[in-house]
Amino acid sequence: MNEQALIQDAQHGDLEAFNTLILHYQDSVFNTALRILGDDDLAADAAQEAFISAFKSITAFRGGSFKAWLMRTVTNACYDELRRQKRRPTTPLEPDTDDGEEMDSPRWLADPNMTPDQKSEADELEHAIQHCLNNLPLEFKTVVIMADIQGMDYTEVATTVKVPLGTIKSRLARARLRLRECLQGFEELLPSFFRLELEGRA
Amino acid sequence: MKPRDVELLSSYLDGQLSPSDSARLESRLKSEPELVSVIDDLRAARGLLRQLPLRRAPRNFTLTRKMVGQNPPMPRSYPVFRFATALATLLFFLTYGLNFLAPQFTSQQVYGMGGGGGGVESFSAEAPAPEAPAATEAPAEPELALPQPTMVAPVPPVEDSNRTLETPFAKSGETGNALAQDQTQAQPQDVAPLVPSTWQLVLAGIAFAGTVLIVLMRRMAIKRWK
Repeated sequence: MNEQALIQDAQHGDLEAFNTLILHYQDSVFNTALRILGDDDLAADAAQEAFISAFKSITAFRGGSFKAWLMRTVTNACYDELRRQKRRPTTPLEPDTDDGEEMDSPRWLADPNMTPDQKSEADELEHAIQHCLNNLPLEFKTVVIMADIQGMDYTEVATTVKVPLGTIKSRLARARLRLRECLQGFEELLPSFFRLELEGRA
Repeated sequence: MKPRDVELLSSYLDGQLSPSDSARLESRLKSEPELVSVIDDLRAARGLLRQLPLRRAPRNFTLTRKMVGQNPPMPRSYPVFRFATALATLLFFLTYGLNFLAPQFTSQQVYGMGGGGGGVESFSAEAPAPEAPAATEAPAEPELALPQPTMVAPVPPVEDSNRTLETPFAKSGETGNALAQDQTQAQPQDVAPLVPSTWQLVLAGIAFAGTVLIVLMRRMAIKRWK
């Protein structure tokens, strides 16, 4: 895929070229939205909004990392959604167990390729991580998602969130520490290497 | 633990420190177990996040032209044709309306300008006026007996109205002839349209042809666009 050529074509209104870019980046964009918003449907909507917005403003893209530019668009779409939620708060429809209690790991998060035990463990761990991510301040959460989940380098993250490199370093360090503290509350769900470190320290 | 140290450790994990800063931090790590504990925490948190499964998008987010509000590119002459068609249609209806209203307008003018001659309607409207007092005079005596006769104007008998219609003709035979002349003059003006029908036909033709052309242009543009 010749990304530069596709971007140039898209800047001249070629929707097919932009759709090729979408197919390449849609998983990353969706995952970013999912980790920021913590909800599949909202994330899908935000991703769609971000792509529409990106196409409409692609002439404003002046080079550099296209992924970083796209991530900024999806981050903005997520921020808009969070602001909307703040204005009109809603109660999430968490599925209940047979006892009427809220399920910790909804079944819809399951990966069909795993065994039931693996599914259950993976779901619960993912749910725990998402829970801890949700507890982070938004600016920390965005940085840690970009750097550790999307694997972007510091410069790309700085471009995405439009803050200086030093701020990125500081936010990332503090976000990782806070996540670590939060995840200690889900010790039984954590992988063996994580538990061994805790036990060794105790 | 100083925030600056946490930041250094986090950057060190990501390989974002300069070689000299890295060397300095490595020497500190050997002597300060607290730093080792923190860097382990940071590494563990980063490891957990990195092992989060990348979810597949639940659907394709590819865009359609409708979603981005794109319209098919039209030929340059399209707006000209559209304007001409709209103008021709407007003018056609305008001329049609004018031709429809013109006879009524001219007939009103003819009757209104009748002067002494007037028409049958003007006679019927004007004639009872001088007769009215005579008609009200007749039942003068019962008027005293009844409480409200002044409120109701008695309808003149049919014979009276005929008389009033006949009276002007009887008084002046020339007036009747003038009325007949006026009517014969007004007849051809009713038929003659204000705008010639040829013009209307031309306008209708332009409007129709323009509409067909516009539809064809749109269809071709959409077909080419797809």
